[in-house]
Amino acid sequence: MSNPFREDLVSRNRPESCTVVIFGATGDLTHRKLIPALYNLAVDGELPTGVKIIGFARRDWTDESFREGLEKLNREVSRTDHDDEIWSSLVPNISYHQSEFQDQEGYTSLAKKLDAIDVERGGKGNRLFYIASAPEYFDDILLHLKEAGLSQASKDCETCWSRVIVEKPFGTTLATAQHLNEVANGTFEEKDTYRIDHYLGKETAQNIMVLRFANAIFEPMWNKEHIDHVQITCAEHLGMEGGRGGYYDGAGALRDMVQNHLLQLLSLVAMEPPTDLSADGVRDEKVKVIRSLRQWNTPELVNENVVRGQYLSGNINGKEVLGYREEDRVNPESKTEAFVAVRCMIDTWRWSGVPFYVRVGKRLPKKATEISIHFKATPSVLFNAMPGGVPDGNVLVIRIQPDEGISLRINSKLPGTTLRMEPVKMDFHYASSFGKSSPEAYERLLLDAMAGDATLFARRDEVEEAWKFVDHIENAWHESDNPPPMAEFPAGSWGPREADEMLAGEGRTWRRL
Amino acid sequence: MSATISTEGLGRKVSVGAIPLELKKLWEADEASTNASLMNFLVYTEDPNQLAENSKTIQNLTREHACRAVLIAMDRKAPEPSVDAWITAHCHLAHGKKSICSEQISFLLRGKSMGRLRNTVFANLNSDLPLIFWWQNELSDLFEDRLYRLLNRLIFDSSTWSQAQEGFARIVEARDATKGRLVIQDLAWTRSFHYRLAIAGLFDDPIAQNSLPYLESVSITAQSGQRTSALLLLAWVVSQSGWKLASSDGDSFQFSSKNGRTIQAELNWDDDGAPIGELSLKALNCEVKVLRKVGSAHLCHVLCTDGHCLDFSGPADAEDPAGLVASQLSRGGKNSLFLRVLPTFLQLF
Repeated sequence: MSNPFREDLVSRNRPESCTVVIFGATGDLTHRKLIPALYNLAVDGELPTGVKIIGFARRDWTDESFREGLEKLNREVSRTDHDDEIWSSLVPNISYHQSEFQDQEGYTSLAKKLDAIDVERGGKGNRLFYIASAPEYFDDILLHLKEAGLSQASKDCETCWSRVIVEKPFGTTLATAQHLNEVANGTFEEKDTYRIDHYLGKETAQNIMVLRFANAIFEPMWNKEHIDHVQITCAEHLGMEGGRGGYYDGAGALRDMVQNHLLQLLSLVAMEPPTDLSADGVRDEKVKVIRSLRQWNTPELVNENVVRGQYLSGNINGKEVLGYREEDRVNPESKTEAFVAVRCMIDTWRWSGVPFYVRVGKRLPKKATEISIHFKATPSVLFNAMPGGVPDGNVLVIRIQPDEGISLRINSKLPGTTLRMEPVKMDFHYASSFGKSSPEAYERLLLDAMAGDATLFARRDEVEEAWKFVDHIENAWHESDNPPPMAEFPAGSWGPREADEMLAGEGRTWRRL
Repeated sequence: MSATISTEGLGRKVSVGAIPLELKKLWEADEASTNASLMNFLVYTEDPNQLAENSKTIQNLTREHACRAVLIAMDRKAPEPSVDAWITAHCHLAHGKKSICSEQISFLLRGKSMGRLRNTVFANLNSDLPLIFWWQNELSDLFEDRLYRLLNRLIFDSSTWSQAQEGFARIVEARDATKGRLVIQDLAWTRSFHYRLAIAGLFDDPIAQNSLPYLESVSITAQSGQRTSALLLLAWVVSQSGWKLASSDGDSFQFSSKNGRTIQAELNWDDDGAPIGELSLKALNCEVKVLRKVGSAHLCHVLCTDGHCLDFSGPADAEDPAGLVASQLSRGGKNSLFLRVLPTFLQLF
């Protein structure tokens, strides 16, 4: 039986009530992101009735101590002000389950707890498992969930579901990603496996499809005929503060950011219009883009198309900062890149010959993520034929964070009796136009998982194709006899000279952010 | 009459012909501010005393909805025609940094209308931006086709109408004349948005859902001034459940369900309570209830089955018209559900 009161009420897939079990519940992600996201959904009236939250972790905490810690952080970090009434109606539904991740007994008792909740709720046993633990436990958790009979919905309930959300990193190489996918698919069905990439939950990332496919003026020009090149930049001014060097030095910029977030953004920019807005409709088109990436599968090709770098000591916001190899928990002999710039070529009819330059790095001058579409210059007649020509081509910029928005650079005549031109910018800022704050990415993604909408989650083939592309580069760096060199740049600058030269050789420059 | 009208917050008095120039000067005077506008937001009242209050409303509204606001008050009883105009800007710090401003033009029109409302509206719009028109209080004869054909969205509060049936007839006429392009938003309907969300959420529960075919009674408690809001909410329950009106007697109604069962419905009035204080749906072993205490910013959602009750809090709708308008603007949409419920509502009215 359907719920007639739902009809036409909100234009999105309906999230269903469930029990959310968070593995790694004592960690930062749970406290700073997941619980505040669930709380904010409750504030907005979006959280389905009767949602229960169970924190699963190793520490010897109680329901009370777990709730106290969550409340403390929620007061600090929640997008909306902490509302005691909403919190107090949410908090009885939050409990703590103490167990080692490798201890089957912990999962057996979890299953009993979940069954008791289902009985209390009248038999509807929807479960959403969120694996937010350290990655080395992903396999164990998935396998133990299966062993406890929790990876499949109850056979007595046709409409019930059991879903799993897996945090990044989803593997560290193609082989480990394939292994993890085998484990995930051997425990949960693929349709119930949600590989989270929080970049896809960001408002501006979602707006890429709207910009492209809901505005008739862009799509006819969105191809090799009109676009010279595309740049995707993810700059971070932070270094290895807070002990993050331990993880980062084992991963590097390419694995940490390019394999997932930046290739996801690239696929949204470059994909063909999907046949529909279903999860697979969109993901089918995204994976075609990643599959069409030209592979840099020799050290020579990597040398030509990829620049890796480490920052040296320098200045950020007027303060001296250490070089990468001097950072806390970073190997002084480290060969890990804290900056990478990649020239990506998409071998499709639409994009043949159009480079997509992707760069990401730590200790760059500021924090900014954006996509810029650089249009071709006008023909060499009229203004372009004049001395000095037209200043610059048109650039469409999609700012992902911070200061989310869209701008278009066009050329305009300077007032006066002579014909002089200057670029001017038409600028749309989310914050100026829409005073209301956007939901956090995790709010949207949790709600989508409860609604069974996987559009904003990565599918198995997307993840593996992305790893395939990244693995060739990693192999050239770490496995070959003549590895491409590691470039250097002072902290607080826009990366190594070699990255500038990669574009300069083609008559292009990185956009100044 | 105009001598006593408050113009506080309306800004600098300007000559009507010089408004574009004065607005330009206003922006040039402060280079640190950004002029933002997503829509033309027009507020019309035939109560000139409302002008200063409407300016306060715009001050708050522009925190989330950047717009060009045009406030028009018409004193139709004034013996001589005249017009006064003011301009100002409402500025807010976005994320504690940038000053984002929305401009406001206010008009006080006196004397006979003679098409002056229409002209004042059309002469002061930002081109290409949608036109949202908030018509306060009764729809008068100035609500005519040459005006409403150019609106994108019409906001009104039917709970303030003394002649609601006439008012709705005009709304339906406007909607038909614009071939559905004009989006209709009744604040009496907006007032129950979170009630409807809460009921939908409670009926997601399988026990509540299984009891749907066996519902026996519906009861709504509201302030007596919110009869339209309460009736619209009841009409929604009836329309979504597929019930047919069997009989009515004042505020009591009897419906028949698709499976031939009889459902009793009752409207109760409590002027000391919240605008809409309670909605309850009862079946034999199940009761679904949503309540709001006076002044509370939350709704209490209650689901009782076999004597066991589950309750929790959720957000409630704003109580003031400005808050309702703000939330309505945030949601946007075509409001198709309201149009679907409207025939049932008119039947119950």
